[in-house]
Amino acid sequence: MRIPVPTLLRQNLWCAVALGLVVLSAPFPRLQLVVHACLVLALAPRQGSPLVGALWAVAAGWCLEGSLRLYPHLGGTAWADLTMALLAGWMAGRWPLEGLKGWLQRLGAFALMQALLMHGAVRLAAGPHALGWTWLWPVLTVPIWGWLGWRLLYGRSGSGRL
Amino acid sequence: MVLRASRWKWSRAAWQRLFLVLLWLGHGGWVFLGPHPGQHWSALVERLSRPAESLASRWETWQTFRRERALDTTQLRAERERLQAELAEVKRQQAEAAPRLAEAEEAISLLGLKQQIPLELKAARVIFTTRPATFGGLIIDRGGDLGLVPDQGVLAPQGIVGRLWSVNATQSKVLPADAPNASVAVMLMRSRATGVLQGMGNGRAAIRYVSNQEVVQAGEAVLTSGLDRVFPRGLLVGYVAEVAQGELELKVVVNLSAPLDRVHQVLILPPHPPLEVQPPFLTEQPKPKAKRGGA
Repeated sequence: MRIPVPTLLRQNLWCAVALGLVVLSAPFPRLQLVVHACLVLALAPRQGSPLVGALWAVAAGWCLEGSLRLYPHLGGTAWADLTMALLAGWMAGRWPLEGLKGWLQRLGAFALMQALLMHGAVRLAAGPHALGWTWLWPVLTVPIWGWLGWRLLYGRSGSGRL
Repeated sequence: MVLRASRWKWSRAAWQRLFLVLLWLGHGGWVFLGPHPGQHWSALVERLSRPAESLASRWETWQTFRRERALDTTQLRAERERLQAELAEVKRQQAEAAPRLAEAEEAISLLGLKQQIPLELKAARVIFTTRPATFGGLIIDRGGDLGLVPDQGVLAPQGIVGRLWSVNATQSKVLPADAPNASVAVMLMRSRATGVLQGMGNGRAAIRYVSNQEVVQAGEAVLTSGLDRVFPRGLLVGYVAEVAQGELELKVVVNLSAPLDRVHQVLILPPHPPLEVQPPFLTEQPKPKAKRGGA
């Protein structure tokens, strides 16, 4: 079964909401990182027209780094987000979604790749820094925000059951 | 069929892709530049210029080493020249002072000898020597002006020299003890055997009239016996060099202890000195009186 692509308005709406949550959740870095991952990997990528999703991903990266205000040279997270959003959009067009289970698996792999890519990009931009364990939160909470993203984008086309 | 050149035009999707590529490359370049964009280029330039800098550093080090070495060599050369000049000056001063030093040492020795012999000794300086000639001798700078008369004994710190042979107004001739016509009454220190010393030349002399029965050893000291009334008893004459058995007497050869060729200052004994003189430190001291009773 081929999952229909959500409307652009709906997707942009939820992306704007998620971006607002990224800004507002700045006092809670773990939550902010989860919302950020949801925006970049689940809500922003769009098959066929990657420009909008890429802009949302870049905005999410700049908002995250700007709210942290820790790096001496910002831009690493935005570049990693842009790369991941483009990759996710390309994969969505190349291998269309067939259900929630494949969606969650794909998001898990993307979350892991995004953590590594963010760390490398920030290291390249701002110099060596401690990796820590915060990157695990988006990976471990993939079922939650993945299911939520699925419901928000593809709520009409599926029941949300695995 | 007419071929028409189609107008080149990008589609909307192409423009979007171009924008995405530029966006991705711009972000990537921004990330790659890092907080200090110039540091990559400076690091690259530094890496590239490292061999040249190393070479230049080694060249500079080598030049500095050469300069310091040349400086050290120059300083060492100057130091060597200065030390050589100082050494030459010291040697010249030493050469100038050597005769006076030897004379002073000889005078000190004469003074010590004079203090040991409690007789009225007179000092004189040897001004000329005719020893290489036959029946030659020493010429001293004192004569009748000092009351000298022939046959007065002449001493040096090392031993006896001879006796006055002839005296004129201001000079005297000394007949050395090794002259063939010189004779001195001597005795051997260990065996106390007496004899007459007769010169053989070249600082050597023979002792005559020593019996074959006497035991004489090489190296034994020979002293004046005082029997000739020229020298008092006990003055050092020399040391036995050779001893050989003769038909009637021992053949004893003596090396005179006084350096007759190098003596410069002498002491002259008074005429007819006493047979025996006591050194000052051997004169009899008055005995302390015995204490009476307890203290």
